[in-house]
Amino acid sequence: MTTVRLLVGTTKGLFVYSSDEQRRVWRCEGPQLAEWEIYSALGDPKGEGVLAGASHAAYGPSVRKSDDGGATWTQIADGPRYPTETGFKFNRVWQLIPGHSSEPDTVFAGVEEAGLFVSRDRGATWSELDGLTSHPTRPGWFPGAGGMCLHTILIDPQDPRRMWVGISAAGVFRSEDGGETWTPRNVGLARVPTGQPYPDVGYCVHKMVLDPQDSNTLYMQEHGGVLRSTDGADSWEPIEDGLPSGRFSHNPDYSGPFGFPMAMSHNGDLFIAPLESSEQRTMAEGKLLIHRMERGADAWAPIGDASPEDPRYVGVLRDALAVDGLEQYGAYFGTTSGELYCSLDRGVTWDRLPGQLSRILAVKPWVVGANGAA
Amino acid sequence: MLKSCTGGRTRFELAATTLDEGLARLVAEHPTLGVHLYDESGALRRHVLIYYNDENIAWLDRLDLPVQPGDRLTVLQAVSGG
Repeated sequence: MTTVRLLVGTTKGLFVYSSDEQRRVWRCEGPQLAEWEIYSALGDPKGEGVLAGASHAAYGPSVRKSDDGGATWTQIADGPRYPTETGFKFNRVWQLIPGHSSEPDTVFAGVEEAGLFVSRDRGATWSELDGLTSHPTRPGWFPGAGGMCLHTILIDPQDPRRMWVGISAAGVFRSEDGGETWTPRNVGLARVPTGQPYPDVGYCVHKMVLDPQDSNTLYMQEHGGVLRSTDGADSWEPIEDGLPSGRFSHNPDYSGPFGFPMAMSHNGDLFIAPLESSEQRTMAEGKLLIHRMERGADAWAPIGDASPEDPRYVGVLRDALAVDGLEQYGAYFGTTSGELYCSLDRGVTWDRLPGQLSRILAVKPWVVGANGAA
Repeated sequence: MLKSCTGGRTRFELAATTLDEGLARLVAEHPTLGVHLYDESGALRRHVLIYYNDENIAWLDRLDLPVQPGDRLTVLQAVSGG
């Protein structure tokens, strides 16, 4: 039997939504880790294990682990932590993703201040892959408004040693050696005017996805627009037809559509949630309108309004839009005002799931019992 | 919210002869608690307060003070903001 769950991280704990393969009726349990903000979560597709990145303004971050689907939790004692001598601060866990399918015990964590950690034992112990914190351009890295976070980790399904990360506001980096060393890959992006002397960095990537069927094609929602690469991130070009302008009044170099999240289904449907502008970070024109572009297309379409009757001046954060891995996939997003939506028809119609939560930071589908699903 | 680091207990005993020994034992016996009290540099997190009886240890000139049976260490979250 297939169980579909959504791990929903909020500023006030983790909620676990559960359904069967039909995904018509959902049960919400939580909050777990109620006092903590949950920026990242990852469920084990083979069982009941869950990892969560929990943090708190006063008490700092940690990785927590549950072996019973989120009912009870323990704190990982040997979690991510920068050595004292590096001077780096570990502030949040922005991303938890599984390693390549050939490495089932591996988990990667992207953290703030920006760095990459790896666990080879399903989250029990962690060590840093320090090619990013020791990168020669590191003195020129500056944080975005959300902090200097490593928020995106992608692994080539064809090659476990080929990886990409996205860091605000340093940019995109690619590794060919499993995360040991990294090269900036930001040609074609609009550079943030920080004044720092490293031209290869200083790019405000918000979210990035990899086409699961073409490891040289990536898409990005960046501060100044939406872009595509067809050469493994060696270069980027705008792909914005059909999207609303971001109306950047402060910088004419930024004229593209503004937003944060981006998600891609197994069949190549790409989703984003455009916001009004950098200054007004709410949905464009107050519409909870998700845009979709199909694989091979060159234009976006405003495919589904989740709340056509009411204006919704809310946002969708960078990890709060996701698709599951089932053949007839489900798409999901959560808002900054705590509403959670589900679509089972490729984003055309959206049903609101039960519950009014706190600010939704992350929506992570977790499918147990289905072949190849995530 | 830190009691998960101390086996669910919010009050427990420590054996120490000095204040700094007591602080060291607190995190040695509860290492996950130490992560939330101190940052990578070993400094107390900015919004964490530890009181020795009625004294905020941040304002003590020295921590190698002899302690007595019944002395208390209290961990508090600093109130700041609105």
